[in-house]
Amino acid sequence: MSVVAAILWKDLVTEWRSRDRAVAMAVFALLVVIVLHFALPAGRADELRRLAPGLLWITYLFAAILGLNRAFALELENEALSGLALAPADRGFVFLGKAAANFVILGAVQAVAGVFFGLAFGVDLLAVAAPLAAVIALGSLGICSVGTLFSAVSVRTRYREVMLPLLLLPLLVPVLIGAVEASAGLVESGVLRWRPLQLLIVTDAVFLIVSFLGFEFVLDE
Amino acid sequence: MGALQASTIERAAVRGRLPSGIALGLLTAAWLVAVARAPLDSVQGVLQKILYVHPPLAFAAYLGFGLAALGGALFLWRGDEAYDRLARSAAEVGVLFCTLVVVTGPIWARGTWGRWWSWDPRLTVTLLLWFVYLAYLLLRAFTEGSERSARFAAVYGIAGLAVIPLNYYAIDLAGGRSMHPQNLESGSLGPGMGWPFLLGVGVALLAFAHLLARRIEVESLRARLAERLARAPRGPESSDPEGGPWAT
Repeated sequence: MSVVAAILWKDLVTEWRSRDRAVAMAVFALLVVIVLHFALPAGRADELRRLAPGLLWITYLFAAILGLNRAFALELENEALSGLALAPADRGFVFLGKAAANFVILGAVQAVAGVFFGLAFGVDLLAVAAPLAAVIALGSLGICSVGTLFSAVSVRTRYREVMLPLLLLPLLVPVLIGAVEASAGLVESGVLRWRPLQLLIVTDAVFLIVSFLGFEFVLDE
Repeated sequence: MGALQASTIERAAVRGRLPSGIALGLLTAAWLVAVARAPLDSVQGVLQKILYVHPPLAFAAYLGFGLAALGGALFLWRGDEAYDRLARSAAEVGVLFCTLVVVTGPIWARGTWGRWWSWDPRLTVTLLLWFVYLAYLLLRAFTEGSERSARFAAVYGIAGLAVIPLNYYAIDLAGGRSMHPQNLESGSLGPGMGWPFLLGVGVALLAFAHLLARRIEVESLRARLAERLARAPRGPESSDPEGGPWAT
């Protein structure tokens, strides 16, 4: 467990000192919101409300992929990745530390982008803030689990920034559907539906197990 | 034991080249005759004959993806590169068959459902699988080092298979209406349609096995060549800094 905490702490401190990843992700998320706003025909308010959950998750997903692309970029310098691989613990715990750091950074970006999204699209997200935060946390858990695993993979391929979305998007479909359906229930009627929540929980569990075990094989000796 | 089994599979693949080729030719001829003589569907007419192509191709494609994940898992477990060659070959042939499924499906759908595509769970899951294994092949192409690309691909292939049941549930949740016929039970086909269908399944599976064996043969030859080049003294022939076109 100390390995998890140490890696989480290291990543958060590095991020806090430079703040470049979080700032880049947040600015990108705001730009996506603006692009989406202008891409859609100016419609009625209830129409936008219906689209809002899907658009919100597109924003979050794109920002997450942008950030995940950088999750291991720093570790490539000075062979830090080999150091991580030599950590005196199961590599699954190294994965948990990295994924937790990604989760925290993504959460901060999501909070900022969510407020901006609510203002831009005229959707009152604050009224359902607490259950929505829970849904966002579950969705992010799924994104950060396989995201961290395949970020460690894609960073050592050619065309790394191109490779990660190609790997991740087909896998993240159940997370996206669960998160959008759960958020739609909240935005439309303020009710937290059980079935999408169930899907998110099961998907998160499967992804966490696969990533925890799979991380063993993605670091080089 | 693992190494022995894997290399036995490879040797059998090489030795069976001629018999499996002849069998495939004969079976294809029988299938063509059977399809031509099969009765016309009273509603769909000649279009229904795509039944003898589309589901058999899909069975072969699923088999390919299953073998790719299985080969990857065995590679991670035993570390024998022969399993990786099986996984890589199965994924490639599987993508080929799945591409044909994704092409023949809409042709049939256009004629019977009146539109090219429906977000039916089975169609969507197949499409997503196709994307997963396309990404799998791209990942292999963009990763340097054969051992590393084998590890990366194996992990991705397993994750891609684990996501299938989740996708079924998710698409049902998203309101994807089910239009695709369910699994065929015996006797659900009209009289005279069973044999051509069974022959079609046989042809597709045999074609899959034949192509897979050829692909494995190429991969194992390539591995042997790389081994030989690595051992050979650096002469004028092998002075290519990249190790020649066969370097992996």
